[in-house]
Amino acid sequence: MKKRLLLMNAFSLILLSGCSDDGKVTDSDLALLKTTHPPAVLIDKNTKENLDLVQNIEHDVEKMKELYDVAVVKSNGDTLVAYKVKHLQRFHMKKIEKNMTKMLEEKYPDENFIVSSDYKIFIEAVELQEKMKNPDFTDKKAKKKLDKIIKLKNEMT
Amino acid sequence: MLKGKQSWVFQNLPVIAAAGVSGGPFEANGNLSEDFDVLHDDLWMGEDSYEKAHRILLEEAGQTALNKANVQKEDVQFYIAGDLINQITPSSLSARTIQIPYFGIFGACSTSMEGLALASFIVNYRGADYVLTGASSHNAAVEKQFRYPTEYGGQKPPTAQWTVTGAGAALISAKAAGPNLPVTTSATIGKVIDMGLTDPFNMGGAMAPAAADTITAHFKDMQLDPSHYDLIVTGDLGKIGQETAYELLTNNGLKIDREKFKDCGLMIYKEDQPVQSGGSGAGCSASVLYGHLLNQMKRGAYRRILVVATGALLSPLTFQQSESIPCIAHAVSIEMT
Amino acid sequence: MSKKGNKTPEQQQYEKLEQKHELKRPVLKNCIRAFWVGGLICTVGQAITYFYIYFFNFTEQTAGNPTVATMIFISMLLTGFGVYDRLGQFAGAGSAVPVTGFGNAVISAAIEHRTEGFVLGVGGNMFKLAGSVILFGVFSAFVVALIKTLLIIWGVI
Repeated sequence: MKKRLLLMNAFSLILLSGCSDDGKVTDSDLALLKTTHPPAVLIDKNTKENLDLVQNIEHDVEKMKELYDVAVVKSNGDTLVAYKVKHLQRFHMKKIEKNMTKMLEEKYPDENFIVSSDYKIFIEAVELQEKMKNPDFTDKKAKKKLDKIIKLKNEMT
Repeated sequence: MLKGKQSWVFQNLPVIAAAGVSGGPFEANGNLSEDFDVLHDDLWMGEDSYEKAHRILLEEAGQTALNKANVQKEDVQFYIAGDLINQITPSSLSARTIQIPYFGIFGACSTSMEGLALASFIVNYRGADYVLTGASSHNAAVEKQFRYPTEYGGQKPPTAQWTVTGAGAALISAKAAGPNLPVTTSATIGKVIDMGLTDPFNMGGAMAPAAADTITAHFKDMQLDPSHYDLIVTGDLGKIGQETAYELLTNNGLKIDREKFKDCGLMIYKEDQPVQSGGSGAGCSASVLYGHLLNQMKRGAYRRILVVATGALLSPLTFQQSESIPCIAHAVSIEMT
Repeated sequence: MSKKGNKTPEQQQYEKLEQKHELKRPVLKNCIRAFWVGGLICTVGQAITYFYIYFFNFTEQTAGNPTVATMIFISMLLTGFGVYDRLGQFAGAGSAVPVTGFGNAVISAAIEHRTEGFVLGVGGNMFKLAGSVILFGVFSAFVVALIKTLLIIWGVI
């Protein structure tokens, strides 16, 4: 049943998008459909401790059994945690978000977390992580992009 | 001449000199399309509103009847017409066009037989040489007034009926201009019957008691047996109303051959047209009688028929104020001489 | 005369006789059709939501508005081409309950009364059917919001 749903979504997306411009399909294009498991990334301050920190955050969040995919992006100011909730657990979306925020803030009191279950935020986060693999993509640009995502997240209606 | 309680006998035998029938696109695809004189392939009929198209239908039917009888409209003394629209404006506006002294009548879908009975009465007593009578309805105009907009996607229950887009007009004359013409011999005027039904999507069920009452009264007044007629045809009872009326008549002790008991609303459309329970509207009985049935009589299929047009006398207002639906039926017997 | 209790014995007897001949609404068939058609309309809506999330800067939160507008636009076209009333006869509640049904109610009334002019016809009758949906929708939303506000003030939730 799950597979059929996935197929149906994929089909409608293909219908809607037609052929993508360069023909190259990246993870962010498919982030809605499949589990991507993106690695946690850091913008600025590429220190060992910071890298450990984001990886720990990602592990901690992934431990929650209601989720199936997590993307973490950390800059010096904010840490963005985007995640996808298992379909039937979507009824408890608010509770999951509350629990996660509580857990993260207790464990990492020094960090400022932005937590979102929105698909769009997830797609954007994965896209950002992909772009950062490119050495031409400067930290400044990355920071700007992250700020844009956070702004998008806070937009209501 | 009054006979019994509520029936007239026309001893001078008023002649149906000619009749004209017009219809819309849905009727053109129906069972009886060959019997229509004028058929339109568009509901608008070249007009800019459905109400105007409604008027055109009636005017065309009337004009066709006059042309067939080769009678000038100046020679016609009275014009009796009616329809279902507020203040029967399509009929009145057609009277403006045709310029014949005019009676506007309203009996909902029974208007056709009400008009025929009155016209025959006037002609029978030499009140006129020629009387033109007609009734009409237009699907979109009637639906707009009584139900929902035509494009509204509401689901109609299987008891609902489809309003006929059509008009029928007949010219009643005091003397026969030629042989092989049908005459009206008697008429029974019905009384309003209300059995407390309130569902406007089940007109047939509401009107059946009125039809049964008028038919019973007709046979009682005329002291006739149902076998006197080759066909007893109701106006627009539809599937449900017709079955119910037949049972009521049987309960009243009238033995009617089931094969000889028909309904205009069930004759006009094909089985596969999406009309739920059948056709309805003032134009239903008018177009089927003045077109198909008179043609059949001239061909010799029937010698004597009794036409019982039924009408539901509701308005959108009374229905919303949760009044029940009062109904009426008028019967006219037509014979070949 | 209209209330059941006020009916004369004669009327009640007739009602029983009439019921015997009355064709019943095929409730189960209608339910199944409504389920499939309603589901199909919602699938289209979901596809349009994903379309807006993917190709425009909309999040799950904000994609709702353009999706509704698009669905109503589609239903407007279908109503104008005379397809929606046939769909409605087939599907019943399936096509009436989604927002497309609301659009159809507004647009069909507007088309119907075009012959009476723009001001008295279209303007005066456009919300003939949908007006009560708007009125009672807004009113019940007000009542629910009032109850929620009171519950929050009293600390129940």
